[in-house]
Amino acid sequence: MTTALFTHSDCLGHETPEGHSERADRLRAIWKTLEDPAFEALDRREAPLAERSELRRVHPEAHVAAIEAAIPAEGHVSLDADTHVMSGSLTAALRGVGAVVSAVDAVMAGEVSNAFCAIRPPGHHAEKATPMGFCLFGNVSIAAKRALDHHGLERVAIIDFDVHHGNGTQDLLWDEARVLFCSTHQMPLYPGTGEPRETGAHGNIINAPLPPMADGAAFRKIMEERILPALDDFKPELVLISAGFDAHRDDPLAQLNFDVEDFVWVTEKLCDIADRHAGGRVVSTLEGGYDLEALAASTAAHVKVLMERGA
Amino acid sequence: MNDTPVEEMSFEQAMAELEQVVQKLENGQVALEESIQLYERGDALRKRCEAKLQAAEEKVAAITTDAAGNPTGTKAFDAQ
Repeated sequence: MTTALFTHSDCLGHETPEGHSERADRLRAIWKTLEDPAFEALDRREAPLAERSELRRVHPEAHVAAIEAAIPAEGHVSLDADTHVMSGSLTAALRGVGAVVSAVDAVMAGEVSNAFCAIRPPGHHAEKATPMGFCLFGNVSIAAKRALDHHGLERVAIIDFDVHHGNGTQDLLWDEARVLFCSTHQMPLYPGTGEPRETGAHGNIINAPLPPMADGAAFRKIMEERILPALDDFKPELVLISAGFDAHRDDPLAQLNFDVEDFVWVTEKLCDIADRHAGGRVVSTLEGGYDLEALAASTAAHVKVLMERGA
Repeated sequence: MNDTPVEEMSFEQAMAELEQVVQKLENGQVALEESIQLYERGDALRKRCEAKLQAAEEKVAAITTDAAGNPTGTKAFDAQ
């Protein structure tokens, strides 16, 4: 078996205003690096458009309708200071959700060992009825619900190592006892949530913030002390990753000092968890990462590990 | 944001703005793209506050006392 790569050119069609960090070039940089012969064995698949019923797994219909209604024929409309929509945004977002849903389906069906979804806009800041922080829909939360409610799993873990707290995932899955949501993130930083005391309605959330300037050693320590043991106790049947690469030392939007090797390390550790409890099933989805070179290198290294472990 | 350069701010000015910055960061009312600039501003303000505090502490330490412990004046800082 192999690793699937789900993506779609429509994800470039969500164009953000000039100078915006979350830009189509991020995806182009990732595609370019994955063209290398080293990634030839990837099972490359086009992300379908998600059915609206998938969005309703975590969002009220009014949220979907409000985003749809906000889409202008021309130019941009700002939903908040960071989050903008234009004519191609809804299609891009539906491809993103379609990617994660299909990735879960493919992994659950045993067609592939694991999968990476190279999509944008990202999703982990989108709350039930609030698009924010570049995000429209909770992509990874939808993937978790798909695995639970469609495939009948009982335990799904989400690990979010994006440098910003996944407030959206936390909001969408706050009272979902079948999900263990674990997040490492810089604090203080946007969006201001993610304190260790925020533990979810059933103790199903673990927030492990890191101070500014924390490096990979601090990240590995907190993963080994708090998150990896909790994952082993939880015994997930599927491991989902919110893979933001903006904790890299070169990222312009934060101040953590991770290196590519730290992303390799965490990917290996999460694959170990998946091997022990989930038959190796991992679905990883792109979140942030705004230095194009660091993003491409980190993503490539992350996907390389998935391929090695999924082979 | 105060127009006075941070390095020219009084302790009170820097502290007041630092409190505003911390409040904004904590209540999540800051845009993702601005969050990092705000943190950096907060860091500069914190350093300014620390520098002013340290200078004040050094002045206090320089107060000279007589044998009974009553202050008699200050001594030149670089004389220590």
